[in-house]
Amino acid sequence: MQLTHLNTRGEANMVDVGDKRETRREAVASGRIVMQPKTLQLLTDNALPKGDVLATARIAGIQAAKRTHELIPLCHALALSKVAVDFDVDHANGCVHVSALCRLDGRTGVEMEALTAVSVACLTLYDMCKAVDKEMYIEAVQLDSKRGGVRGDYQRGLPEPIVTGGSAVGEVRLGERCASPCVRVKFLAELREQIEESDMSIGLDQLPSRDVAGLKAALNAQDARFGVLSDQRTLCAINQVMANDSARLTDEDEVAFFPPVTGG
Amino acid sequence: MTNIEATELDISVRVQQVPFAMDEGYESVLHQRSDIGAIVTFTGLVRDFNETPDVTGLTLEHYPGMTERTLIQIGEQACQRWELQAVRIVHRVGDLAPGDPIVRVLVASAHRREAFQACDFIMDYLKTQAPFWKKEHSRHGAYWVQERHADHQDAARW
Repeated sequence: MQLTHLNTRGEANMVDVGDKRETRREAVASGRIVMQPKTLQLLTDNALPKGDVLATARIAGIQAAKRTHELIPLCHALALSKVAVDFDVDHANGCVHVSALCRLDGRTGVEMEALTAVSVACLTLYDMCKAVDKEMYIEAVQLDSKRGGVRGDYQRGLPEPIVTGGSAVGEVRLGERCASPCVRVKFLAELREQIEESDMSIGLDQLPSRDVAGLKAALNAQDARFGVLSDQRTLCAINQVMANDSARLTDEDEVAFFPPVTGG
Repeated sequence: MTNIEATELDISVRVQQVPFAMDEGYESVLHQRSDIGAIVTFTGLVRDFNETPDVTGLTLEHYPGMTERTLIQIGEQACQRWELQAVRIVHRVGDLAPGDPIVRVLVASAHRREAFQACDFIMDYLKTQAPFWKKEHSRHGAYWVQERHADHQDAARW
């Protein structure tokens, strides 16, 4: 795993996202501010000196999300399509839970925006209540979930998925765009372990013939470990539909190789 | 978790990491209708013995997108062969322990014979066509489960 914000010399570096494909990105973050029960009561009764605490904190969170790039050095300026900040007043635990959802059709993730919205909403809650309570503290600011993007979805609490690829339902993931016509190749399950590779792309002009057999031949010429692709047991799918050696390949096709299935 | 539904035919399939309830699917199938005469369900569980006698766990991998599409197609084929009112398929992926449910198929029909046969058919096709792969963990190490000839013979019955 490489840190994308560092260049090869280890210096801070803004990632060039120009070649990434636009996808629907969504992130949800949450956090909480813990306060004394009587402060919380004043907040719910709208009796704090600075007025409507939650409405102010909501606007602050939304504004902050839009200005994340001004605060976090290597963040891109994003045209968010949606920012929603929500509060859940928890009298039992003496705190306000804050959550923020950010959405964008674009080329970068929006988790920094969601985290910034939560952080600033929490800070605003602190500011609005600090006249009556100095003991408040902000905690557990975290990313809860993230959707879209080449690295796949994330959901806090779920073990790291063992699934391959990151396609949403019923769609074929195209991933990063190649500069010249190419096919994307995936190796699944046991094949991935044998080949020690999960995803790669190869230019169409490198194939001796523009079909699955040609792809196998080109890979074989690259490295002997791809020999397993010619094994009779090895199955192939183009754009998630089963295919044989003579199936034609075109630019941007997703070709997956995998062993016989063993589900159920 | 992914969830897709086919139009017209009442088929829904889901691939998820989290466990499913043992009565999964009943409510959505029976909701506001009384023309269903039979519901047959199959639940597959992780055995503590399979290729080795001491399986301690299982990791299930799949091919997102293709998996759901294949399951929908299997459901559609079942609906073409038998008079069915609803099909529900839930399959888990990720890390599972012995005793954990892996797969659940529910078939609703006016008559029991259709439901029994369709459920059997769906499992046979799922095992031989849907892109899932099992890696078993045992006290002697981990290995990928090999496909079984018997499963293909079973699927060829239909």
